[in-house]
Amino acid sequence: MARRGRQGEDRPGQREWQSRELGSLETDDGALSARLKKLSDALDAKRSAEEASRREGPLPGAAGSMGNVLSLAFRVLSEFVAAVVVGAAIGWGIDRLSGTTPWFLIVFLLFGAAAGFWNVYRIATEKPGGGEG
Amino acid sequence: MAEENPMDPIHQFAIEPLFSLHPFGIDATFTNASLFMVIVALTAASVMLLGTSPRALVPGRLQSVAEMAYEFVKATIGMAGSHDGMRFFPFVFTLFLFVLLCNLIGLIPYTFTVTSQIAVTGALALLVIGIVVVYGFMHHGTKFFRLFVPSGVPVALMPLLVPIEVISFLSRPVSLSVRLFANMLAGHITLKVMGGFVVSLLGAGFFAVLAPLPFAMAVILTAFELLVAVLQAYVFAILTCVYLNDAVHPGH
Repeated sequence: MARRGRQGEDRPGQREWQSRELGSLETDDGALSARLKKLSDALDAKRSAEEASRREGPLPGAAGSMGNVLSLAFRVLSEFVAAVVVGAAIGWGIDRLSGTTPWFLIVFLLFGAAAGFWNVYRIATEKPGGGEG
Repeated sequence: MAEENPMDPIHQFAIEPLFSLHPFGIDATFTNASLFMVIVALTAASVMLLGTSPRALVPGRLQSVAEMAYEFVKATIGMAGSHDGMRFFPFVFTLFLFVLLCNLIGLIPYTFTVTSQIAVTGALALLVIGIVVVYGFMHHGTKFFRLFVPSGVPVALMPLLVPIEVISFLSRPVSLSVRLFANMLAGHITLKVMGGFVVSLLGAGFFAVLAPLPFAMAVILTAFELLVAVLQAYVFAILTCVYLNDAVHPGH
């Protein structure tokens, strides 16, 4: 009940505000249309500029080129190191379980290095615009 | 934060228990890391909820932040190349927003950077790979193993190539988690060391004239860390998309 009462209080004030706004809009109609034209021109210019940049840049969502190159460099490094480390860990684990130290470690270290190169090759051949992963 | 040794660059990563919590004998103590994770989740949720509640045709500030985040993640998923990748949109969006806000909030002084903990980034990467494996097996069954068998290769080479592919697949969560963790850790240590230089130079009598140099460096590095924070969140999101794409289309 109390809430409904408050709403009833609010409504006339709101209507008054709306009508005042409408009145001010009607008085300077010419200024408004000029402003609208300016805004739509600016919007068109911005849209065409965006279109141009999208056609040029390979990655529309990414940060600047410096950041792109940096992240790519770090990606290559971490993918390579991770593959070698994972290979070594698998080899070490097999050796520990079967007591064949150090043969599996050596073999899987080599596999890991190969997988690292394979990861880097995959990043290098990946199309900049996406496509197949 | 560190009263005993304010110059220690590692101290900012210390986990401090806020209050002890042991339900069913599991150590679930609420730490400062948990606190900041809750803060990040609440920030993300409130930005999205408050930003989308007006539903204005001409967006306000908060609404355009929410819309930009949405459009950005949508473009990222589209770039990873799968048409039905939008199925994973809620997951990728949540992940991106969480990592981004963890990185950004961690840059504010006296806060804690959740993503500088390998436990957190490792858990996130395992979640991604877990979803890839579970979704791959659910939708392709044993055909998911074709991911490890490159097509168009003679059978004689298989014993050599399959371990390489398996290691390459297993290295993904490692590189995904280590990259984010190492970037945040290294950046925050560098910032702290530069700050420490300023303090020790100011207390070194005549050499205080040199103090502006590391201070300028710290300012530059802060801007650089801002770039790294956004970029690493982006890289995390796009690699998640690439890996999820593998789960949708395993046979290259």
